Amino acid sequence: MLTSILRRGAFATLALAGLTTAAFAQMELKIMAPAAPGGGWDGTARSMQQALTASGIAKSVQVTNVPGAGGTIGLAQLVNSSKGDGSTLMVNGFVMVGAILLNKSPVDLTQTTPIARLTAEALVVVVPAESPIKTAKDLADRVKADPAKVIWAGGSAGGADHILAALFAGTVGADASKINYIPFSGGGEALAAMLGGRVTAGVSGYGEFEGQIKAGKLRVIGVTSPKRLTNAPDAPTFKEQGVDLELLNWRSVVAPPGISAEQRKALADAMDKMVKSKEWAEILKARGWDDAYLASAEFETFLKAEKARVEGVMKTVGLIK
Amino acid sequence: MDTLLALFNGFSVALEPSKLLFCLIGVFLGTAVGVLPGIGPALTVALLLPVTFKLDPAGSLIMFAGIYYGGMYGGSTTAILLNAPGESASLATALEGSKMAKAGRGGPALATAAVGSFVAGLIATLGLAFLAPWLVELAVKFGPWDYFGLMILAFVTVSATFGDSPLRGLTSLFLGITLGLVGIDKLTGQARLTFGVPELLNGIEVTTLAVGLFAVGEALYVASKRHREPEEIIPIKGSLWMTKQDWKRSWAPWLRGTAYGFPIGALPAGGAEVPTFLSYATERKLCKYPDEFGKGAIEGVAGPEAANNASAAGTLVPLLTLGLPTSATAAIMLAGFQQYGLNPGPLLFAEKPDLVWGLIASLFIANVMLVILNLPLIGLWVKLLAVPQPWLYAGILVFATMGTLAVNPSPVELGMLFGFGFLGYLMRRYDYPVAPMVVGLILGPMAEAQLRRALQISLGDPMILLENPGSATLLGLALLGLVAPFVMKGLNRFKASED
Amino acid sequence: MANEKTRSGPDRAALVAGVLLLAVAALVARDAASQTIVSSYGVGPTAMPYVVASGLGLLGLAHLVVAFRDGLPAPDSSDPRALGWIVAGLVGFIACVALGGGFIVATALLFGFTARGFGREALVTDLVIGFVMGLVIYVVFFKLLTLSLPAGPLERLLV
Repeated sequence: MLTSILRRGAFATLALAGLTTAAFAQMELKIMAPAAPGGGWDGTARSMQQALTASGIAKSVQVTNVPGAGGTIGLAQLVNSSKGDGSTLMVNGFVMVGAILLNKSPVDLTQTTPIARLTAEALVVVVPAESPIKTAKDLADRVKADPAKVIWAGGSAGGADHILAALFAGTVGADASKINYIPFSGGGEALAAMLGGRVTAGVSGYGEFEGQIKAGKLRVIGVTSPKRLTNAPDAPTFKEQGVDLELLNWRSVVAPPGISAEQRKALADAMDKMVKSKEWAEILKARGWDDAYLASAEFETFLKAEKARVEGVMKTVGLIK
Repeated sequence: MDTLLALFNGFSVALEPSKLLFCLIGVFLGTAVGVLPGIGPALTVALLLPVTFKLDPAGSLIMFAGIYYGGMYGGSTTAILLNAPGESASLATALEGSKMAKAGRGGPALATAAVGSFVAGLIATLGLAFLAPWLVELAVKFGPWDYFGLMILAFVTVSATFGDSPLRGLTSLFLGITLGLVGIDKLTGQARLTFGVPELLNGIEVTTLAVGLFAVGEALYVASKRHREPEEIIPIKGSLWMTKQDWKRSWAPWLRGTAYGFPIGALPAGGAEVPTFLSYATERKLCKYPDEFGKGAIEGVAGPEAANNASAAGTLVPLLTLGLPTSATAAIMLAGFQQYGLNPGPLLFAEKPDLVWGLIASLFIANVMLVILNLPLIGLWVKLLAVPQPWLYAGILVFATMGTLAVNPSPVELGMLFGFGFLGYLMRRYDYPVAPMVVGLILGPMAEAQLRRALQISLGDPMILLENPGSATLLGLALLGLVAPFVMKGLNRFKASED
Repeated sequence: MANEKTRSGPDRAALVAGVLLLAVAALVARDAASQTIVSSYGVGPTAMPYVVASGLGLLGLAHLVVAFRDGLPAPDSSDPRALGWIVAGLVGFIACVALGGGFIVATALLFGFTARGFGREALVTDLVIGFVMGLVIYVVFFKLLTLSLPAGPLERLLV
């Protein structure tokens, strides 16, 4: 046991360098997490590091952190200083699409080379168990009657939760610019506001509310996935309730601009191998992430569509002009 | 009774020799990484989490608890010895702790921090075991208006750090609040005072300001007046360990610190800063040797350190009972649970009692280990201060920049660190207190966000602050805190005339 | 304090502090006035800046009043050479990192210059000590904690 800790711990990287038996793996990668160590994107980057080296796909993977401004500082660095570098990847996700617009970032995701979408999480809209609101239609009626009286709680302004609240209002025919959305820092505070009955509805990733939903303290109004979730077969989707609403909080990797077609293919292939490895499967299970792999080309199309949608919503809500 | 039984069960799991060894390794690694300035316990845990991946759940959890406590204690060591608080919660510790260290009382300061953390951890763990379900009911009832009241109360207590000029104290505080405005507004996503610099969008990092003002500013100041009155650092004066007098002066602050830390830490947006400030202010008011405050009073280390530790245990209340991660560390803890497919929440106690109580027992044991490991180390730590002064300060500056770079490797962040350092130098030179500025940066944005959330819920009606009993009481206390000093002064005069 | 009444005219330090505070107040107010988007419920993102700006303005005025009365406590003389060395070390550090010189060389500069500022007359020895310190820190961070510090030519040799 002790040897195993020592190997994993203090000497992990040193030992790995010597012990790597996978001689065929020549790839040396740098993965940038455009966030501080410890956050979600950092977790993705470090999990990739683990999966790529443990499965022998890459010889070495180095994680760097470039935090700040919803990831747009890291993005600027990728676009400006790593141009043409075929060994660098950056983790990003849905939230960055909004952050780019909100922060008036001079660079945007279309300037990068999309490599793969990796994971995604469905969002969920919930109400406190004692709320008279039972279905998506009840909530829609409330929002249409008086958007000010429906208080939404969720994550940061312009983030996925906020976009969903606005999309919901817009989809059911209410005035999305009038929604009363309160951003909380971190899911914990928003959840406390829900349990304390101070807000009408809460928005978050399904995992964050799962415990409360199962304990019967929160009621699901709808999930944003196209089909019901496998781990929550009782939670209805918005789609099946006649509200045409789909939104996934996805995470992906992109490469710098200006890389060659071969370099792009090499990176895409490495991702393809990684998502199929058992190491990655184990990490997904341990972290509770859902696989949402999209290969390079499909991801590029998807990214463009998401950008157009987010931009539209943010204009309606008045987050940007 | 069930609770007690479960707790004993937990202990039986955590007390196996192999588990104890993991715990010791965890405490050691946590302390080693946590002493690096700028690296607080949350980051320490995040960095060392992979180390625990390959152990069995129980072993990993106990190592995890060790790392966590080690990281917390390591943070206060840096705050005391180097005057470079690694996180906002050890700010209050640095105020008196660093003064004690320079006066040769670093040993007792570190000891009261360790024992205080232990006492607070012990009481708070018991609180967690027995009061959690009840406390959490109260905690979720705490609305934005109540938080606003709590922040205002904390603001009032800041005046304890003002020194002898209200004008200079208020100026420092307001500059801190101004810095707190910088960055993206939490509620509307708009950028304020960023002047087109993207690095400013995330706001000013508390540790950057604190390390700049405290460590860098102090180095510049000491160097500037060295030719005139060389600063004398005494590594050890008197006992290395706490004297009888130190114990006598420490036990009440430990208990009071715990009484602030645990319940406020249990509030979803309570945090560790507010209780440490409240504790510092209280000890300053109650201290029998008020003259020593500002020169190294042991109460000023004992209270805030206990509050800090108790609040950390407090954050476990919403985490374990509701699955609410309410602090950066709690979020990391959540990750620790999730690696075993455990989802903290209302069902966790019922579904996996052995693991939950195993963890609680582990926290407890980690606390004991920490004291066992660190008390002998104190002698070694204090020797650091015996390093020749030029090297000591050069080393402090190197560590300060390293901590900043590790979290955010950008020249802009470094520029801010040194800019704040120079500001700290100027403020010291003209006798402006630096602590209120950091407090303003921490509390300002919190107070603003809570007030605006409250008004958004009430659709703009300010009466909501007075209609709610919680916020009305807290605001009343704050008002009392403002008026009380004048009343006290009157009373003292009255007493004096009676004598 | 003990120093008042020894100078003639207003206290320069207090005057400067007052003017600077008024300038910061104006800056905050101007920034708030230029906000285009305001919240539709409750108070918007500009309310707090205006409160802060008024507070800073009042404090600025109070400093001006103080300047013509007691003034700030007069500071004792300071050693510009000591300050100069440390500031040079700090600026050297930033420049070295920003220009790609790497963490280790930057640390050597900062350590050596600071020690010089504190009166040690062995710059070369201290630069070497700083270099070794930087090297050790870099290796510990990079290898054990997988946190990358700014890399220059030297650091790239280590990888």
